[in-house]
Formats: sequence, C-alpha cells, structure tokens
Amino acid sequence: LGSWRPAFADDQLVDLPMDNGVRRLVAYPEKRPMIVLTSRPPQLETPWDVFNQGLITPNDAFFVRYHNAGLPGPIDGDAHAIRIGGNAVAKPFSITVAELRSQFRPVELLAVNQCSGNSRGLFNPRVQGGQLANGAMGNARWVGVPLKDILARAEPTNAARQVTFDGLDNGVFGGGDFVKALDVHHAMDGEVMVAYRMNGEDIPFLNGFPVKLVVPGHYGTYWVKHLSDIQVIDHEFDGFWMKPAYRIPDNDCACVPPGQAPAATRPIGRFNVRSFITSVADGARVRAGQALAVRGIAFDGGQGISEVAYSTDGGATWREARLGTDLGRYSFREFTFGFTPAAGTHDLRVRAWNRSGQSQPMEALWNPAGYMRNVVESVKLTAA
Amino acid sequence: MKTLVPALLALSFLLAQPSFAVTKGVNLPPDGVQLRASPLPGYAKAQANCVACHSAEYMLYQPRTAPRPYWEAMVKRMQAVFKAPIADADMPVIVDYLVKTYGNEQPAAAATTK
Ligand code: HEC
Repeated sequence: LGSWRPAFADDQLVDLPMDNGVRRLVAYPEKRPMIVLTSRPPQLETPWDVFNQGLITPNDAFFVRYHNAGLPGPIDGDAHAIRIGGNAVAKPFSITVAELRSQFRPVELLAVNQCSGNSRGLFNPRVQGGQLANGAMGNARWVGVPLKDILARAEPTNAARQVTFDGLDNGVFGGGDFVKALDVHHAMDGEVMVAYRMNGEDIPFLNGFPVKLVVPGHYGTYWVKHLSDIQVIDHEFDGFWMKPAYRIPDNDCACVPPGQAPAATRPIGRFNVRSFITSVADGARVRAGQALAVRGIAFDGGQGISEVAYSTDGGATWREARLGTDLGRYSFREFTFGFTPAAGTHDLRVRAWNRSGQSQPMEALWNPAGYMRNVVESVKLTAA
Repeated sequence: MKTLVPALLALSFLLAQPSFAVTKGVNLPPDGVQLRASPLPGYAKAQANCVACHSAEYMLYQPRTAPRPYWEAMVKRMQAVFKAPIADADMPVIVDYLVKTYGNEQPAAAATTK
C-alpha cells in the first residue's frame, strides 16, 4: 500500500485495504456520507462501521449501484406505471404504483441485498471492475407485492420461459440498457417481490424509487431499480447484462485457478455464505487481560445460518459463537463471543455454516470477474 | 403570512392523503475526479470521448496492474456495447494514454507519488 494519493481537496477520505484504495466520502441525496466508488453514475459503498450499529442497514447508508448514467428525472411515486407484457402472456396490462398498493395484498420480508462484486477489490491477484471493499451489502425490511400475483393477472401461457425486468435508468447513448431476466419458475416462486417500501419509508431514489424488484437471496444485479417494464417471454433472454456480463464459472465452487478463463459459465445466482466481525477492526489495539465482547453478522442465500464458529489463533482451534435472534432466513444474523486477549497479537477468524451445510473457504476462491468472494476473514488485534 | 397560508394548506392536504408516496428526483453532486492530465496525445481524446457517460473514477480506481489488453477491451466495449461515439482511429492513442496513466505501464514514479 504505497503513499500514492489522488489530489483531492477538502473531501473526507477513506483508505480501503487494497492498493489504490483511497476513496472520497460524499453525501448524495437522501444519503449520509458514503464511500464513493464512482460519482457519475453514483456507486456508493456503505462505511463499515454502519454494520456494527444494528442488523438493519439504514436507508441513508444503504449501498448504491448504477450501471448507466441516464438516471430518470423526477418520478411521481403514485402515478409511476409498470407495464406487464411479453409474447408469453394472454392479458398484458399496465398498473400504477398507487394501484399496486391498493389492489394487491402486501407482503413483508427482511432480506439482504449484496452486490455481485462486493469485496472485488480484495481479490488476489486483482481483477478489473468496480473496486469495492466489503460494504456493497445491506439488510432491509421490504414491503411489496409478490411478483407471482402480478404476473398471474397477465395470464402467462404455457410457452413462458423467462421474465425480463427493465427500469427507467438508461444508457447515455442508448446502448447497454440494463435489463435482467429470471427463469419463470423463479419469478413465480412467491418470494420475488415488487417492493415499494424499504425500512418503513419510500425507497430512496438512488435505491430505485418508487418500486424495486426484490429477489431474496440473490445478488443485487437482479434487484432492478425504478422498475417500469416486465416481459414474460418464450425464450432465454441474452441481453448484455445476462450474457456475457454477470456470469460465473459453471462449476461447484464458481471458481477457477487464478488467471484462468472458465470453460463454461452460468448466470450468477444465490449468495454464498459469509460472516464478518463488525465490532473490532483489523489492526485494532486492545487492552491485554480485559474481556472483549466481539460481535458480527452472518448471512447466506436463504437456507439460513445454523452455526458460526470463531477462532482467536488464526484458525488453529475453533469454538462456537452464540447466535442472536433469528430474524428470518434472508436476514443478517448476529453472532457474539467473548475473548480475553493476553498481551501480544491475535488473529480472529469467523466461519459460518448454513442449514444445508455450506460454509466459507479458508483460502479465497478466484474467478475472473471478482464475484462471490466469501473467504473466512481475518481480523488481527494487538493486545497491550 | 401570504406565503405561509398556501404552505399550510398544502401540508394539511398531504396529511389527509392516505398514501405516502411523493415525487422524488435527484440532483447529483459534481464529479469528484477528472482524468489525470498528461502530455500524451490520448489525454485530449480521452477527455473528449471517455467522460461523456461516466466520471473518471471508472479509470482511476482500476488496479494499477491492469494491462494493455484490458484497456483495449474496455475501449472496444464502450463503443460496441454502450454506443460510445469513439472513432476507431483514436483508439490506439486513447489506450496508450490509459495504460500509461492508470494501468501497468505507468512510470514507476507516477505509480508511487503524487
Ligand atoms: C456511451 C457511454 C460510455 C462512454 C462514451 C464510455 N463509457 Fe466506459 N462505461 C460505460 C458503461 C455503461 C460502463 C459499465 C458500467 C458498469 O458495469 O456498471 C462503462 C465501464 C467502463 C469501465 C469499467 C469500470 C468498471 O467499473 O467495470 C472502464 C475502465 C471504462 N468504462 C472506461 C472508459 C473509457 C476509457 C472510455 C473512452 C474511451 C469510456 N469508458 C467511454 C459507458 C461509457
């Protein structure tokens, strides 16, 4: 980590733990100062201390990720309409957000959203793309309408194969419109939701006001913002953002040896298991002989966390951490453990398991796009 | 008072509404960084071609290990996928500027100071 620093004036800076990791902290509309990955279109990462302040990520600290800088102008949150059509529905229709709220029974779900490239900047060897640390994730309480109920009204035909989602944001020169697709059985699973409330408020503009697709347990790339167009189609959609973008090696680990290209790929899907200590930072100095209460968060793609183990000796020995209240299988789950450090250095690690026995690798897995990082993290402390 | 009354009326109207939605837009703060100045001929071309759609952090924050083929592929992708109006003839000097300014052909001094 060299001494190189971009020539920024008065802004607050943060130095992420990667080469070339100096970033500005700036307050965007409806946001507190956030780590700026890019200023236009905005890509904002959540400052790490937010994750230790509660299991719900506040709206004004929730990460932001756009692809195209053609952001929509002012949107009327009642009159905004979503069109539902495509060549595999019998009854295409259009519905405003006000009608969506009054004509369908709402559901509520606590669910983590995480960017596919969360932690990309920590890959070794480095990969190109948005150089994020661990803050492109967040946990929110979503209220909305099950997509299944909306699609049912359009009467999908037997030919239905995929459902595509487009929002109001556009490419500046028209190319690369951000459109995503889900298989129809996934879209109809009753969990995928068109959300209009986030943590009890309207969704912040930069998170997709007034309606956003919520795809529980799945990477943020599918959570289309400013949702305006849904198409049920009779074929597999292959737009740029489904192919070649947002694909992972088509094998069990979604990984390849560093530097190699995968033989075959598939669209990115569910989160793998992750866990983080949040109460103490890597490199911290603490009092020797004094009890330290350590806490953190764990989550996965929807099986639910069943166990978190911790080590204070770099992974040589492990014990079980205490799990906090289960807030639902798509939510962050708190864990805690106590530790009284003797004088010297300590390497704290945590490792989570989900209900189907999946866990985290001790050595990071690698793929060319830098997706799905979930290595067991190390937090080194010095006690004196 | 003249201005206060309509404001109060508007407020009571909003409170009476059962729905909570509003009209929202955004005004974004200005770009936080500019392309790094350089005597290379590609600098002016990049200024003309590369910050129309996004700010310069897209280039600045790439790993400094990013090699020439990465920058070539990116410039081509900008044209092919995103319809960036970049003349083919300008591409080599733009790539040259990018890899020498942000990539793995930076002079050692530039990579460790400034
Ligand atoms: C027509 C619009 C447009 C123009 C002009 C344009 N870009 Fe881009 N650029 C994009 C879009 C859209 C992305 C994709 C962003 C994403 O994946 O979120 C992108 C991504 C990138 C990235 C990848 C960064 C990342 O986070 O993945 C780099 C580097 C880049 N552009 C450099 C350039 C350069 C150099 C030029 C000029 C030669 C240029 N761009 C011109 C639209 C454009």
